[in-house]
Amino acid sequence: MTEDTAFVIEALGIVKSFSGVQALRGIDFRVRRGEIHALLGQNGAGKSTLVKILNGVHSAGSYDGTIRVNGAAIAFRTPGEARERGVAYVPQEIEVFEQLTVAENVFAGQTSLGSGFTVSQRKMEARAAALFRDFGLPINPKSLMASLSAAQRHLVMIVRALATRPAVLMLDEPTASLSGAEVTRLFALLKRLKAQGTTMIFITHRLPEVMALCDAATVLRDGRVAAELARGEFDADRIIAAMSGQKMQRMYPAHRTPDGTRVLLELADLSVEERPGAHLGVADVSFQLRAGEILGIAGLLGSGRTELLSAIYGLLPYRGRIAVGGKPVAIHSTADARRAGIAMLTEDRKRTGLLFNLPVGGNITIGNLALFARHGLISGEREESAAVKAMRELKVKARSSSAAVAHLSGGNQQKLLFARVLMNAPKILLLDEPTKGVDVATRSEIYRLIVDLAETGVGLVVVSSELEEVIGLCDRSLIMADGRIVGEMSRSEASEEAVLKRIAAAQAEKARGVVESAA
Amino acid sequence: MSGGAVSERNAPGQQPFQDRLVRLLAVGEVGVLAALVLITAFFYILEPAFLSERNIRAVLTVVSFVGIIAIGQTILLIGGEFDLSVGSVAGVSAVVSAQLMTALALPVPVAILGGMLTGGLIGLVNGLIVVKLKIPAFIQTLGMLFIGQGLIQVVTSGYPVYPLPESVGNFGMARPLLGMGWSFYFFIIAAVIADFVLRRTVLGRNMYATGGNQDVARLVGINTALYKIGAFMLIGVLAAIAGMFVMADLAAGTTSIGSGWELAVIAGVVVGGVSLFGGAGTIAGGLSGVLLLQVVQSGLVVIGVNANWQQIAVGIIMVLAVGLDILRRRFFIAGSGRREETIASEARPQTEAPAP
Repeated sequence: MTEDTAFVIEALGIVKSFSGVQALRGIDFRVRRGEIHALLGQNGAGKSTLVKILNGVHSAGSYDGTIRVNGAAIAFRTPGEARERGVAYVPQEIEVFEQLTVAENVFAGQTSLGSGFTVSQRKMEARAAALFRDFGLPINPKSLMASLSAAQRHLVMIVRALATRPAVLMLDEPTASLSGAEVTRLFALLKRLKAQGTTMIFITHRLPEVMALCDAATVLRDGRVAAELARGEFDADRIIAAMSGQKMQRMYPAHRTPDGTRVLLELADLSVEERPGAHLGVADVSFQLRAGEILGIAGLLGSGRTELLSAIYGLLPYRGRIAVGGKPVAIHSTADARRAGIAMLTEDRKRTGLLFNLPVGGNITIGNLALFARHGLISGEREESAAVKAMRELKVKARSSSAAVAHLSGGNQQKLLFARVLMNAPKILLLDEPTKGVDVATRSEIYRLIVDLAETGVGLVVVSSELEEVIGLCDRSLIMADGRIVGEMSRSEASEEAVLKRIAAAQAEKARGVVESAA
Repeated sequence: MSGGAVSERNAPGQQPFQDRLVRLLAVGEVGVLAALVLITAFFYILEPAFLSERNIRAVLTVVSFVGIIAIGQTILLIGGEFDLSVGSVAGVSAVVSAQLMTALALPVPVAILGGMLTGGLIGLVNGLIVVKLKIPAFIQTLGMLFIGQGLIQVVTSGYPVYPLPESVGNFGMARPLLGMGWSFYFFIIAAVIADFVLRRTVLGRNMYATGGNQDVARLVGINTALYKIGAFMLIGVLAAIAGMFVMADLAAGTTSIGSGWELAVIAGVVVGGVSLFGGAGTIAGGLSGVLLLQVVQSGLVVIGVNANWQQIAVGIIMVLAVGLDILRRRFFIAGSGRREETIASEARPQTEAPAP
């Protein structure tokens, strides 16, 4: 047994198969003490599988190879054992107890909080409050988990992992559901942890984050290590090349802003009343969307941008006027919106996107079955050929249209959902975070698709947390803060800096307003 | 979908057998049908009289009463809800129609229609309260179970409604074909129609979507409230029909009609692989489960096992069947919850479907 203490955790010669399919084909992965180590790769490259082995989710014996912690070979059988050894894991998907408070979530599974059998609620809340204060997070430990936003839930999960003071913290795409400001806050937290000696493994799809934060990176491709890079060797082109195995094309395809085309969608003073705990408000939003235009909505999480899209799609009641193709329409349900030629891609694939009880084909055609049916009777052949055609056009990689959707990678699931919303040829497409949790290669496919749709005269509204995406992709961007449109920029005017400044100014104005009205 | 054909044509050469086996085991009905055959063989070996014509008829007659409701329960479960009140709905509807044809002396067809309306109306109330007031189906239909039991007593003052018009008794005694009564043929026809609707129509697919994930179903434009309320009404009407078939069979509107059916129905369809969580299951599976439980009960009677043990057997089988089903799903179908980051399509050569 070697005592090479430079490495906190090592995985050597890891081979892992799932029902005959090799997910990992001999991986050597080493993380030095005190570093933030990026684990990169496309969806399906094997990142999550590797992390689940390091964390004991895939128990020892179900894979070949050796795991060493501080130089000593160790076989984790459960996540609990890994945790006892100081290896903590924050999964990408939000897994919380919605009916419990934040404090109860943070300390779930820990028994050292009461006297013997009982749990002291007060003690727990006090300790949780101290943790959140330490980490600079404005979350009330007494809040019910269900009342928190997705980003706040993610932060609570990170704090839950940190509560045991782990030696190695593994974060699986922690920024996927966070807005810009929250990412900054998270990074400050991670840097502080690093200074305290915590080693971190950081899985992400966002290269700028790697550049900003990480000390070393391992790139996986098809279950093998494609590259190991030290900080000095970081280079976006190089990382992308290692991930994709080829040189990337330009990320955002060129698109000419149309001028003088007809207005497809017009909102006039659209407002949504806020319902605390359920959804945020939108106030007096007006804009026009032209045929062939890609309109971006830039705004932080919690700016009301999802609510705006939801109202247009008939999911939330609104005040104000909506006109489609110059004609006023009343949209009270998703069926009304679809009749008006509006389609929407939602932000959360797992909760509001996929139907796990239907196969790939059924997921594509659902909602548009009338296209393949006569008198309510589905023609299996026509449905099948339409599904297969859509899969081919959007390059959805699945063994067949009868494959289970749960088997697909995130990128393929997203392309499948695009196939669904495009099935009835909508004129207006609302996209909420169209590339969330999607690998780089699929991303550029999705950008290409968005631009192609615009060229055929579809009007698109794109909401994204990534300013770079909004700016790179959209002809025009609206900037949203606190439920209002606070600015508009053309492609030539827009930059990340300009957008952030506009948001900050809007927030400062609002703060001043509050102070003045209080005085 | 007829999608299986695509992958079969394209599956890489080394795994057609394994593929086919996996797909066969992934079909929910295979397990329960295999169990049905084994158990039948077991009882037949112990006591050949088990497969006597008389006993087969007896089993199928009971199955047809419970099965009519099981059709509705399968559809409702696929839509993501369930109904515990079916037994007392069957009873209320039966005694209401019995009173209509005796106390009010209405023509028999009108009284039957009245019974069906009663069941449909109770289903509508269940559906509206569950969907619009968002009261869990468990609570609402459990409440309705008690309400129904009370209503039976109210309608009948606790006495059987007797005698019924002669035509009702004759209808119950009739054996149009193969010595089976009308209830059996109604059951078969209703099952075939329901199976067709679920597998081949927009209505059926949208029901699966509604039960699979209500939010998604709403997003793609499905009126999920309508589907759920419709399924509640359908099961109400089917329960009423089953109750009235028993009434005809007995030639009396007794107060015990339907008592205890709710559990037999739910246990049966669940044994047949219909998911309690919605969105999964088939008519063939659900009804095979109902048949399986009835075969076990009848078999135990035929081989002379004490009645108390029959109930114990039913309980064990239900838990066992659901347990096996969960194991099967874990191995052959990817769970809808967690997602492994291993993707067949990325580890294998891409097998895209050829142009038709």
